[in-house]
Amino acid sequence: MHPQLEILLELQDLKAQQRELAEATADTSHEIERKVFRVKPEDAAAQLQSKIEEMESVLAPDVADRYRIISRRRNRAVAPVLNGICYGCFMTVPTGVPPSNDEIRWCEHCGSFLYFVD
Amino acid sequence: MQLREFFTEDVIKLDLQGASKDEILKELISLLKLPEKSEGILFKMLKRRENLGSTGIGRGIAIPHCRSLVVNHLRVAFGRRSDAIDFKAIDDKPVSFFFLIVAPPLEVSNQYLPVLGKIAQLCREPDVPEKLAQIRTPDQFLELLDQKQV
Repeated sequence: MHPQLEILLELQDLKAQQRELAEATADTSHEIERKVFRVKPEDAAAQLQSKIEEMESVLAPDVADRYRIISRRRNRAVAPVLNGICYGCFMTVPTGVPPSNDEIRWCEHCGSFLYFVD
Repeated sequence: MQLREFFTEDVIKLDLQGASKDEILKELISLLKLPEKSEGILFKMLKRRENLGSTGIGRGIAIPHCRSLVVNHLRVAFGRRSDAIDFKAIDDKPVSFFFLIVAPPLEVSNQYLPVLGKIAQLCREPDVPEKLAQIRTPDQFLELLDQKQV
């Protein structure tokens, strides 16, 4: 896997975790983490934010530029590809694009970075 | 939706060998049979979650969990270690029973939080730690889930 894609994946996962912690209603991650695991959601979110910023700072400039643009437009900068479909926009990824994570690729329709799950 | 639907015999290991928190996490991840690179990413995410606060909920039980793009649907596993290990649990007691839960960030069926909640509910039942200790085969673990109707 391309090292920059690995960072993007981790960033995406950290942001997903952070978003869930922010939803402070019943039966959400916020409540489960607080009640079951006794985590303080606000502290956890701050810790995640610090890690996110640290990881964003090690993105290569060209990757960071696209990441910033996509992140402004949508919650997720990396879209999984399942059965040839980009789950960022649900459009078909052209068959000419090799299903490999060894290079950084993006969807020609929505611009998301692509991660081939299968 | 019942917990039993998510577990199969191949994701249940009753003789975990790991001697540390990290080794146990890696052993649990290996039950999911992911590509090596994905295992590494998942391990990092689980460690990050543990850094926010231990998932050891007390009574010898831990529920390591996270969301990660390396899986394409909700995955669970169960592991037991005969000698409990330090997992920095909230009651400071060592842990023998481990439920792993991983789900992708984009999850159409939205099962991650309900499953996490159900496992926590199961673990709160007074007789569960003792029953988990008595299990001899993966099939008996599945039977326990059936009996509990969680």
